Amino acid sequence: PVTAGSIVVPFGHVIGNEKWRGSELAQRLQGKVKLIFEDGLGLVDFHLSNRTCILLISEADLVAGDEFKRRLVRFRNASSLRGIVIVEKTQISDQYYPGVQKLVVLELGMVLLPVANQGEASQLIIQLVSVCVREQSRDRSSNPFVRRQRAERAEPALLQAVQRIPGVGRSKALLLLQRFCSLQRLCNAAIHELEQAVGQTAAQQIYTF
Amino acid sequence: VPEHSPSLAGISRVPGEHSPSLCILADSREICSGPEVLSCLRAVHRLRVQVCSLGTSDYIVSNRLAVDRLLQSELQSPGNRSKLSQRLQRLQGIFERICVIVETDRVRPGETSRCFQRTQYYDGVLSALVQAGVRILFSSCQEETAALLKELALLEHRKDAAIQVPTEPEGHQRDILSFYLSIPNLSYGAALNLCHSFSSITAVANSSVPALAAGARLSRPQAEELHRFLRHDFDLQLLPQPLPAKGK
Repeated sequence: PVTAGSIVVPFGHVIGNEKWRGSELAQRLQGKVKLIFEDGLGLVDFHLSNRTCILLISEADLVAGDEFKRRLVRFRNASSLRGIVIVEKTQISDQYYPGVQKLVVLELGMVLLPVANQGEASQLIIQLVSVCVREQSRDRSSNPFVRRQRAERAEPALLQAVQRIPGVGRSKALLLLQRFCSLQRLCNAAIHELEQAVGQTAAQQIYTF
Repeated sequence: VPEHSPSLAGISRVPGEHSPSLCILADSREICSGPEVLSCLRAVHRLRVQVCSLGTSDYIVSNRLAVDRLLQSELQSPGNRSKLSQRLQRLQGIFERICVIVETDRVRPGETSRCFQRTQYYDGVLSALVQAGVRILFSSCQEETAALLKELALLEHRKDAAIQVPTEPEGHQRDILSFYLSIPNLSYGAALNLCHSFSSITAVANSSVPALAAGARLSRPQAEELHRFLRHDFDLQLLPQPLPAKGK
């Protein structure tokens, strides 16, 4: 049966497809992650969390032809889970990689990560699991690539912007901002108002700008 | 110098008519670090490549997508971590979408092919990038990187997000562009769009959020941020103190 829907993954666990029981990959994962095997995962090889799962493409799949492509498309159409595709990129399967990447990343909008063998796949899965666990425990600040919202003061940037007006240096910029407060009001200032602040020549330059 | 007149280039082109209207902005540092990427984009893929001082990312492929080119060895070394995370976090404030292309390091002549030792650290970085929603592509050389950039540009073009304004402002427009570029979290592409879509800075300053979003091709939150900045009341007290001594 083609199943690609979500299943409930207990916190900190990985649910693996029954077909991986006893494999080199499973042996390397055991002890590092809490691995449970389940039947009927269908298209998915491993569930890392309720919303993230892994599909593995072996070197043999790549060489065998297009069957794996149909599997990926079926998954994409049937599931809203975040699918991470791990592909075995070896000297033999290397030539297929650009085509697979175009399909998976550019056309299907999924994640694709290459590994050289099952050993590397297990190491990568362990890291993916640890990121998933951190995400679930809402410890998002631990991810160095997730943007932290911080309010930055607009004042230094405003001062910089006004200094980009020809003929305006730091001191004139300060005078202008103190008098007109915002860029919008500065833009709408009449020439005589500018003259009062910075003198005739500069006022003319600012006005034409 | 591009052959077309800077007035309506791109705009009048029919979507679907490919290559000539596709435009990519490249950071000037790429002249040294990725010369074959640039020449491939121009010669093989016939893209319009505008080299400018982007500072933020290596490439801007559309109005919303920035691409950074990273060598595999850079992702392997923990010493790069803070630099990389600062750079990508900054990009996330400016662009809706971010992509990194991980390129295999070049083997210099005479050097035996170094075996790539995959580390736990490297896997950790990849995992964190995936979780942060950064798109990752892998490339084996500069030529392949150029092909990927073209694919991305094509994809963005199909989604109607391509850069379609003249990328080389002249004279007075250049000063105006420099002014827009000083606005925080505004991309080079958005600044070019502002130059092109509005008659003056005053017109920008008096525009509504929807007008800014449409004119600069910005998302709603980004347009709101720009709108706030233009109307922000300057408070001298909030300048960082002490003021940096100038010229000393």
